[in-house]
Amino acid sequence: MVKGKKKIDQKRERGGKQPKYYEVFARKDSASELSHVGSVEAPNDQLAQVRAWYIYDQHKWREMCVVPLDSIITVTEEGKSAKIKMG
Amino acid sequence: MAYIPGNTGTKLDKNFENDLLAIADTRLVLGNWYAECVMNGRSLPDFAAILGMCTSNYGHTRAIYQFLAAHGHDYAHLERGRDAAAICSMNVLDEAPAGWEDFIVSTWLTELATWMLASGFLKHEDRAIAGIAKKIGEETYFHLKYAQGWFQIIGEGKKQSELFQKSFAKRFPIALQWFGPATGKDPLHDAGIRDVPLKKLRDAFIKEASNAEKILGAKLKQEKSVKLEKDWRRDARRFGPIPDGLFEVVRFKDAEIAH
Repeated sequence: MVKGKKKIDQKRERGGKQPKYYEVFARKDSASELSHVGSVEAPNDQLAQVRAWYIYDQHKWREMCVVPLDSIITVTEEGKSAKIKMG
Repeated sequence: MAYIPGNTGTKLDKNFENDLLAIADTRLVLGNWYAECVMNGRSLPDFAAILGMCTSNYGHTRAIYQFLAAHGHDYAHLERGRDAAAICSMNVLDEAPAGWEDFIVSTWLTELATWMLASGFLKHEDRAIAGIAKKIGEETYFHLKYAQGWFQIIGEGKKQSELFQKSFAKRFPIALQWFGPATGKDPLHDAGIRDVPLKKLRDAFIKEASNAEKILGAKLKQEKSVKLEKDWRRDARRFGPIPDGLFEVVRFKDAEIAH
């Protein structure tokens, strides 16, 4: 066990005052479409890749990628106050 | 019977066997480090990543023990029958991490060093061992990426960077000892069992370790030559036995639990 009390720097270690999220997309084989499989919280791209890899391990994916949530531009969405769903 | 690659039941070259055991035992102890430290992760996704790295390290250990068992070893003895003096894990894991930065430095150096040594068997003519080396490489890719993600975060904090530098200065020379003397005989390469010379793997480890400076954004004190401890053993790639406290963590306790 790491010695000492665990202290988390919210800004550095979780990406900001609010946790930073990435959307995860994957495909099982080259014939399958790249589909949304979920989302992960991570402070940077590297940790997002690793966390996504271990959390969404239900298949032996041929391809997996992550996209920062704040890079997604909504074109249309039903309901004025609706936000992009996560999880 | 003399070792015939791909022929189970034949006895392995002793130096080959020692190196495989050193990788397997180090990955066993590393897996236990992850298991012990998982609650120090920063969030639920972090716990999942640490536990993923834990299980893949156990997987590497198990696969190598199975390979050794196919070549005349007793699997039960390898897994649970050895005392502290017989566990050949890297000295860098002997001392528990002093903090999060030290945990990242120690696990990263161990992942990198063990992968370097395993990579020397990627082209081994025995497909079983080449396959294990390939699998270790594929999975270590994510383990190293995890560390690099943390270098970036640690590098953003002055105090955290200093703690990283301090930990690196202490742990790197111990990790380097795992590769043994910088010059000298390389029986595995000479025998054609490892196609890459140990010196090349050692140099690659030094170079890869120094690359952390770029991501961290801070200088790292790196000794390129280290004096081996007096009782450093080539067969175990370590000096002394693993400490009692660590052995207590890694030893199998199923017989006691059953009662």
